[in-house]
Amino acid sequence: MSFLALVRVEQKKLRRSKIFLILLIPVIMMWIPGIINAGMSFDLREIPITPEKNFFIQGFMGMVWFMIPASLVICTVLQNQTERSNKGLIKMLSLPVGTGRLCLAKFIVLLMLTAFQMVMSIGAYYVCAAIATAVQDYNFILEPLYVCKIVCSIYAAAIPMAAVYLAISVLISSPVFSVGTGLASIVPSVFLINTKLWFIYPMSYPFYVLMTAYGKAAKGVYETEIAWLPWLPAAAVITILALAISCARYGASEAR
Amino acid sequence: MSLGIELKKLKRTGYFPAFLAGGLVAAAFPAIYMGVKAETLAPFSGNPVQLLMTATWQMSAMLNMLISICGACMMYHTEYANNGMQKMLALPVRQNAVFFGKFVIAAAALALMTIMEIAALAGCAQYWFTKNALDVPELLKTAGFQIIAALPTVMLMLIIASACKNMWVSLGIGVILVFTFSIFPQDNALLSLFPFSSPYQIFYDAAEKEIVFRHLSVCIVQTAVLAMAEVLYLKMRRCFE
Repeated sequence: MSFLALVRVEQKKLRRSKIFLILLIPVIMMWIPGIINAGMSFDLREIPITPEKNFFIQGFMGMVWFMIPASLVICTVLQNQTERSNKGLIKMLSLPVGTGRLCLAKFIVLLMLTAFQMVMSIGAYYVCAAIATAVQDYNFILEPLYVCKIVCSIYAAAIPMAAVYLAISVLISSPVFSVGTGLASIVPSVFLINTKLWFIYPMSYPFYVLMTAYGKAAKGVYETEIAWLPWLPAAAVITILALAISCARYGASEAR
Repeated sequence: MSLGIELKKLKRTGYFPAFLAGGLVAAAFPAIYMGVKAETLAPFSGNPVQLLMTATWQMSAMLNMLISICGACMMYHTEYANNGMQKMLALPVRQNAVFFGKFVIAAAALALMTIMEIAALAGCAQYWFTKNALDVPELLKTAGFQIIAALPTVMLMLIIASACKNMWVSLGIGVILVFTFSIFPQDNALLSLFPFSSPYQIFYDAAEKEIVFRHLSVCIVQTAVLAMAEVLYLKMRRCFE
């Protein structure tokens, strides 16, 4: 079975899961306070930033801090629950499919789901910016290139985190533990982002990317340049390690 | 009787270890916070527990809610897996008794976690600010307030978990609710009374604004109303299944 076919099979498994609905709701939710408080975007509290950028960054803040990791946790739970219900994974183990490849296919689908959520969030941003523009009589719409660039970098920064969450869901077979660990790991990222050790904690990467964008838009709020040097090697090591562990251990508790 | 059975059902799910681990993680927040910011806070005067709580309670409350959500999902996941719930309908077991047994356990687990967190706050306050003596009655009041403030959330989450057969649907709904209420502004008086938002209220802030009684009574009434709603829902569901 080719790898592409495996990915397609994984996609099919999610067909009736309503996952897209669950991914869409937070995307809409995050903009409701944004629209209601659009007037607050003018209240800059002496931060040198334009109101439209303030609107964009404040809107995405909750998304990068909480919703992207939480969506990843939910997606990994979903992928594992569909495998484990009715002993699907045990049946898969008797088929001529490598467990490592299966796990990688799941990772690709996880990335696709996140990419889809990102596209939806860009769409939601433009709809809400248009509404806020009409309500406040001020142009909140930013040029697409800027928005897409930031969202793409947030997405790229979320990849190590996705690998780590996949590893957590593979290693911890009790669903309550794996979900609990995943969700609990979100909370300290707001803490770590202000320390020097943020780069060893993958859950804070998307937040960091948005904060540097904030720093670029408003001088003095946060660092303006992304510190590539400790970050890139650390992220690569974490991603590869997490993927290797999850591929090696995939289905291990069932194969026992 | 039903409480014992409910406890037994949770035996191999890792339910209590999850709460204990969550409590330990949350208990580490004030310690880490003080470790990072000890110098900036040295000249601070006032109630150290209040200071630490203002700085870290939002994270602890969020963690409590997330762990409670996982717990609620797990409790009903074990029921729905392999059609356990269907088989139970044929037994002389009342659905209400099952639900309230679960609620008592969930509330107790949350109380355990909250007490651990408050104890950690008090411990950190003692360690870094030794000038004040420990005010035990006030700490107990704080813990009681935070536990009662979280009860509607626990109840509502159990209702959601009992309504959805698929674990990750209830999990998704719970996480979305936490997320939604965490991005709404916290200073809005009406919004802060909703489940998923009321646990963020800190006892000391409530005491300063003299809304302790109001907050607690609203939370208790909400819990009672939600309990009645669940009883009604279980009765209605029978007709449609």
